[in-house]
Amino acid sequence: MFLAIRKKNVLSQLIINKMERNQILNEINEIFKDVLDNDEILINETTKASDIDEWDSLSHIQLVVAIEKQFKIKFSSSEIREWKDVGEMITSIQSK
Amino acid sequence: MEKGSIFTHEFHLSNEVYSLFLEAFKDKNPLHTDDSFAQSKGFEMRVMHGNILNGFVSYFIGECLPTKNVIIQKQEIQFHLPVYVNSKLRFEAKIEEFYESVNSYEFKFFFENESKKKVAKGKIQIGILK
Repeated sequence: MFLAIRKKNVLSQLIINKMERNQILNEINEIFKDVLDNDEILINETTKASDIDEWDSLSHIQLVVAIEKQFKIKFSSSEIREWKDVGEMITSIQSK
Repeated sequence: MEKGSIFTHEFHLSNEVYSLFLEAFKDKNPLHTDDSFAQSKGFEMRVMHGNILNGFVSYFIGECLPTKNVIIQKQEIQFHLPVYVNSKLRFEAKIEEFYESVNSYEFKFFFENESKKKVAKGKIQIGILK
């Protein structure tokens, strides 16, 4: 009985976590469209800089600044250096 | 340089600056070169090119900050009042934010004329080169 309740709670937490990540993904997708000036952009958690032509080193700076402003958070330089894809970006945002 | 720091500088929009801008960029639109035309549009005399002020912003970033290791990443400006030749402009810029993650500063700036009226204002983002 206790184990079943615990499993249900873990499952609920996973669903909430997934919903939250989807919500963040949608918000940063809008930021990508705006900063990279391309309404066609559709990112997912595995999207990398090499997947989007406009995502170069200078636009990356503007993306980071826009995300910090939108979510009212601050990243560290070491933190953003470790990002390999959008999913890791979302994990950073979620951790704040 | 830290959030809240304020920098000021005085600029003189001299006839020499105006003439060199005209010579360099060839924008001889009558609003900028013909007093009668400018007066017919409601201005006192020929109006200085707004982008001369962007040149002053460039000077401020390149020459007036405590470091020369700078690069402009983003700039926006709004023009509110006309500026005429031989105006003396007071420029003020304040650091609004520092983004440690990308080593960038965001400034808000304005220019005011001798009557203390804001003639232009804007934002500028600079990166610090390593």
